Formats: sequence, C-alpha cells, structure tokens
Amino acid sequence: MLPACLGLIPFGVVCGVGAAAAGIDFVGALGMSAIIFSGAAQILAVQLLADGAPVAVIVLTCFVAGLRFLMYSAAMAPYFRPLPARWRNGLAFVLTDQAFAASVRRFSATHDSRAGALHFLGGGSALWGMWQLTNAIGFLAGNVIPASWSLEFAVPLCFVALVAPVLRDVPAIVAAVTAGGFVLALAALPMKLNLIVAGLIGIVAGTLADLARERWKAR
Amino acid sequence: MEGALIVWTVILVVGALNYLSRLSFIAAFGRRSMPAWLARSLKFVPAAMLTALIVPMIVTAPAPGAIAWANPKVLAAIAAAVVAFHTRSTLKTLAVGMLALWLLQWLSAIYG
Repeated sequence: MLPACLGLIPFGVVCGVGAAAAGIDFVGALGMSAIIFSGAAQILAVQLLADGAPVAVIVLTCFVAGLRFLMYSAAMAPYFRPLPARWRNGLAFVLTDQAFAASVRRFSATHDSRAGALHFLGGGSALWGMWQLTNAIGFLAGNVIPASWSLEFAVPLCFVALVAPVLRDVPAIVAAVTAGGFVLALAALPMKLNLIVAGLIGIVAGTLADLARERWKAR
Repeated sequence: MEGALIVWTVILVVGALNYLSRLSFIAAFGRRSMPAWLARSLKFVPAAMLTALIVPMIVTAPAPGAIAWANPKVLAAIAAAVVAFHTRSTLKTLAVGMLALWLLQWLSAIYG
C-alpha cells in the first residue's frame, strides 16, 4: 500500500488547507481527518460548512457520497468472514477507497484470510496515520503553498484515479456521463444539492442500462 | 447553533454514518446477503458519485456559475483519466495530471 500512501499526500494536504480556509480550528480539523477519515466527505463537509448549509444537508450529502462504502463492505465481507468479530469491526474503520483498491485484488489472489487481513490492517493503519499527518501539514502550512501550484487540482485527480478504472463497461459509462451532465444542469440548486441529485440519477441510469443490457443479451 | 458545536455535530454524525456504511456488510455477512437489486445499483455508486464530485471541480470557471469546457483543468483531467484507466495507479495519475496542468498553464501564459 506504499503507492496508495504516497498518492494520499497531496489529497490530505488539500483537505487540511480546505479546513483552515473554511475557518475550522486545528482541533476540529484533526477531528475531521481522524473520525470522518474520508477525503470526499471532508471536502464536501468543509465546503458546505463554509456555505452555511444546514447540518442535515451536510450529513445527507456526505452520506450519499459515502454510499460507495456499502459496496466496498459487501466486496470485502467474504474475505473478512473467517475473522473474529473484533477484528472485523477494526478492519471496517480503515476501509477506504485506497485501501479497498489496493487490497481487493490481493485478497482474491491469496486464500490465507489472516495474512490478507494483517496486510489490510497494516496498510489501512498506515493510510490513517499518513492521513492525519498530511491533513495537519495542510492545515498549518496552507498559506505557505503558492496558489500558482494549483495544488487543489490534486483532489479531482485523486477521484479520477478511482473512477477512470471502473469505466470499463457501457452501464458504468452511462452512470458517469449522466451524473456529470446532471451535476452541471442542476448547478443552480442551493447548498450543492445538485451533487446528491445528480449522483442518484446517475446510479439509476447505470442500473437501468445494466438491466437493459442484460435483457438484450438474453434475447 | 454555535460554530464549533456545528462542526463537531457534523464530525460525529458523518463519522458514525461513514463507519456504519463501512461496517454494514462486513458485520451482517452470513446472516443476510445483499438483495440483487441493491448489489446491482451499488455497483454504479463510485462511477456516478465520484463523477458528480469531479466535474464541477474542473469545468467551473472563476466567474461563479460559469462553465469553461476548454480550460487547462479539463484537458489535464482527461490525460490523467487515460493514465488511470490503463495503469490504475494513483501516483502516475497525479503525476501526469499535475504536470499536464502546469504545462498547459505555462503554455496559455505564453500564448494566451
């Protein structure tokens, strides 16, 4: 998971910079990185807090963005099944986009669930530690980084690194294109509600495309 | 509500929901398997949600609400997406995306 750790550095720094820019204090910023431990949710929460959005809207937006964790959880569940419940509860906390992407193929290659779990726990803990460090650095050093470096571009790039590899079949592309189109078309909605609505429409569009493809294949 | 109280409410509630989402099927597996319709829909959460997050970050121009398709970020993100698709590597995606952006910004500063 070393490459995943290094890839997180700019993302974590940008999250810290964002928290500082939104006027959140250092303890609050550390609380976000330590407890929420999700770059997408932290960026959204910070932007919405700065916009003065109601708590319910912030929570709902972050929850919808975090629905992907349900999928990761379902995908990892068979590999964690032989482990004691206490282990599983701990492993779930470090189940992030990067940890999932880095270990799902490793798990399917090895049949030793304990070794796989140890690797996942070690890697996940390293990612967590790296996340705290980089968020803190971003918070403290944010105004030292020149704006001309466009470091904030690292955030969409981290998401691109996650999303581009899944665009390998038509339904996934339909989901992405639909969500991307609607998020712009609905940009006038207040409190970034266009993110939730466009995301949900994209999920429905992908699902319908998948069903249609299955039916067409069955004919 | 006061500022710090709002921030901590968000941290604790979002943190709890995130953890419960991560734990969901890991904890429930064996007792309940996922309904087929849910499994089918969840497959599209990353493609749809992450794209909805990415697009406004790269096409929105400095003027609020304005959309700029032909800006360096769009081109750099496309280059990064091609690299991500073929390599699945976060580091290579970041490297190519940032270098492409700096190159395009440098070119547009010279010729723009």
